[in-house]
Amino acid sequence: MRPIGRAALLTVLAVSAVGPLVLLGLTSVAADWFAPAPWPTTFTADAWRSLAGGGRLVGAVVTSALVAATVGVLAALIAVPIGHAIARLTGWGRRLGLAALYLPVATPPIALGLGLQFAFLRAGLGGTTLGVALAHLVPAASFVGIYFAGVFRATDPRLEDEARSLGAAPGQVWRRVILPPLAREIADGVALGALISWAQVPLSLVIGGGLVHTLPLEVYSYLRSGESRYGAVASLLLIVPPVMILAAGRLAATRVSRYFAPALTGI
Amino acid sequence: MTRDARAGMVAATVIIVPVVVGLLYTASASVGLTGLDAHGLSTARLARVSADSQVWRAIAWTLSTATAGALLALTAAVTLASVVRGTSIGDRAARWLAIVPLPIPHVVAASLGLLVLGESGLLARWTAAAGWVSIARHLPAITLDPWGIGFTLTMAWKETPFLAIVAFAVLATRGAQLDEVARTLGAGRWATFRRVTLPVLVRALAPATIAATVFIAGSFEAPIILGPSDPLPLPVLIWERYGDLDLARRGDAYVLILIAFAIGIVGAAAVSWARRWDLDAETR
Repeated sequence: MRPIGRAALLTVLAVSAVGPLVLLGLTSVAADWFAPAPWPTTFTADAWRSLAGGGRLVGAVVTSALVAATVGVLAALIAVPIGHAIARLTGWGRRLGLAALYLPVATPPIALGLGLQFAFLRAGLGGTTLGVALAHLVPAASFVGIYFAGVFRATDPRLEDEARSLGAAPGQVWRRVILPPLAREIADGVALGALISWAQVPLSLVIGGGLVHTLPLEVYSYLRSGESRYGAVASLLLIVPPVMILAAGRLAATRVSRYFAPALTGI
Repeated sequence: MTRDARAGMVAATVIIVPVVVGLLYTASASVGLTGLDAHGLSTARLARVSADSQVWRAIAWTLSTATAGALLALTAAVTLASVVRGTSIGDRAARWLAIVPLPIPHVVAASLGLLVLGESGLLARWTAAAGWVSIARHLPAITLDPWGIGFTLTMAWKETPFLAIVAFAVLATRGAQLDEVARTLGAGRWATFRRVTLPVLVRALAPATIAATVFIAGSFEAPIILGPSDPLPLPVLIWERYGDLDLARRGDAYVLILIAFAIGIVGAAAVSWARRWDLDAETR
């Protein structure tokens, strides 16, 4: 491609990467930005001030962070053994195992939420923060499971066999052989699970029943009621942490892709 | 069955139990056994829903916009991966910039779609400011539109980083050698791209593209913000029916939920199938 085309492509990519932050930032402080004004001309910081005053957005950030952290840790706990087991299967077993992992991810969350609502209400989990976290765990655990299936395909099973034949008990094999070299991958897995939870709307809406206020739900309700300034502040709170993490730990993204690609493409 | 295989089966079971529970409850509610306004086994709900043209239009809208969005994202990802595959600083920066939007949630993507493509969005404001359109007869609406153009474009933008990240990994692991062989055998740049790079990428990206289709089709918050009210997108129709004041219609929502589950099952099966297709290509 000619240099000019390359420069144009880089510009488009830069706009697509940075543009959302700029646009949301501008919207969050624009006082009267009526069409067709190309730029806002008057500004106000009222939406940000209400945040500093500890409004409902602060509570939503805390709830979302708690739920996401819980979901991330639980998802990794469930997903590590599942990913390991599926990576060590061959033929039909693995195909079936991976298909099972794809299922919760592929099921539309609104269907999953409404299908599970009755069970959650019966268990007394409807409208509770714990219920919302457990609902998020369903797609999160399988996402992270897909990730770890890729991670364990890339590790050498002979090392574990060796440890076993030298007399290590299953717990010892995990503690001494399998887990130690995977510290970063496990951290990535926790982050991935937390990210799935952090972004979730339909499951929180259905299982939370309007009683659990997560950050994405706040964005959603501000948008629905046309309060764009507050919606932009909430959106920024929602996207800045994950984008920062991704941008800072660029390597995390490449690691995640390296293991996601095998689970998805069979490299 | 070996110990590990058994472990795999157990693991797979654990992960799909919630889906199966939800599916069974939905299926029994669809035939009137459970759920609101249940009157015992009957096909009344199935009959009412399948006779409703709104339902068929909702399914058609959701599947066609999802497919179009995923194919656009695939095109963008293939273009990106084949253009910026070098080790120069520009190429590395481009690959990094391409994946930055990856963690943006659907709800924020939809809000950005509205801010850029909406009736008083940046596109409308700037084209008016440039004098290309008068604001009185502004651009045709591309959000909340029956064709779902704004929704499709926004979702394509949202899914491009996901497909691009897989495409970068594919070209990094297997593209280079194949390309080199093709070039050594005398293929030109264009022939190498068309006969080697493109087929490798498309085959390897097939599962991820199907996954992206299913993600777009399953999104609830994006179509409720960007989609039309006629036809209603399937996830939105489910939500409206479920909140209907008429209890009988509320029960009908379960048939729609069952359809959404079916999309998930077919999607998961298709991803596995497409994955195998790619593996076959590898070993042939």
